Amino acid sequence: MAVHSEAELAEEIERLRAELARREREAADKELQLERYAADLRETFKQERARSQELSRSYMATVRALSNAVEARDAYTGKHAERVAAYGMAVARALGLSAESPEIEFGFLLHDIGKLAIPDAILYKPSALTEEERALMARHPVLGADIVRGIDFLGGAGQVVRHHHERWDGQGYPDGLRGEEIPITARVFAVADVLDALTTDRPYRPASTMPIAREIIIRESGSHFDPRVVEAFASIPLETLERIGAEIR
Amino acid sequence: MQSVLVVDDDPFIRKLVATTLEDVGEFELHEAADGLEALEIAQRERPTLVFLDVDMPRLDGIDACRRLREDPTTGRTTIVMLTAAHGDDVERRAEDAGADLFLTKPFSPLDLLRLVDRLGSAGGPGARRS
Repeated sequence: MAVHSEAELAEEIERLRAELARREREAADKELQLERYAADLRETFKQERARSQELSRSYMATVRALSNAVEARDAYTGKHAERVAAYGMAVARALGLSAESPEIEFGFLLHDIGKLAIPDAILYKPSALTEEERALMARHPVLGADIVRGIDFLGGAGQVVRHHHERWDGQGYPDGLRGEEIPITARVFAVADVLDALTTDRPYRPASTMPIAREIIIRESGSHFDPRVVEAFASIPLETLERIGAEIR
Repeated sequence: MQSVLVVDDDPFIRKLVATTLEDVGEFELHEAADGLEALEIAQRERPTLVFLDVDMPRLDGIDACRRLREDPTTGRTTIVMLTAAHGDDVERRAEDAGADLFLTKPFSPLDLLRLVDRLGSAGGPGARRS
């Protein structure tokens, strides 16, 4: 073992103290640097969140504006798209479809956007449509799907646009899909669409009451509609549906 | 691809600068732990951008900066000095040595990114401090 004089020991202690102080400084510097990073990260995160919320809001506003453009042409349906979207979202929730993504609602709101491509003379013709006119009218889901195709943020919404007139038994249009070939969102929408049609006055018939409309839909389970969707629909309290119908006029 | 040299005796700082840059773009990154190593790598790799710490062993950042400027192969590179907040006249000395820009430690990663963006859009190497 080396023998140290007191002076040597004192020197050694001094050296160690200095070393310790240096390391402490370094550690403190690192901590400050990391705090700086954390602060920037928080700031960036906050800004990104605000931006993404703003983006979501403008998506929804854009979709509503498009939907209103369709509605504005069609006087008698009033707020059909908005109402049908609310019914549809109620059914989607009852079915346990994720309501997190707004795409479902986008699709519901835009389902008839293809009608923009149908001439007024056909859309508002008071008398019966000719075969040719009916054929053009029946293309509105395809025309609509074409219109929304390029819009990425709509995601799966285009499926509702294209397939909202398909029927569970394969007798619908435009593609005659049957059963689970039809996207689930379109199957949900079909129920909401018919519910709104039945509970709204039309030039040729008065509106049905909500309980009667619901019975009619339940009767069409397995033919027009997906039985699972009808089951979910039937589980929604009447008051909920009636409230939607009353609030969105 | 832009070639970037990060010079600091603290590997923590080198790593931090490198990761920050990697997150935003394609850079060919080189690292040096002191001024002498920096000169050697700069001559070989010809970086368009050099981050240079001030206090380093063997050759400090100020002298390294001056020698980078004097050497025709590295003279036109953009030099960003990493200075400590308590550095008294460091900025003046660094400017005299030919530094283009300063980043004060602890530095903000957002400032670092803004600086790189600005250099990228404002003519790259040799862009002067505004």
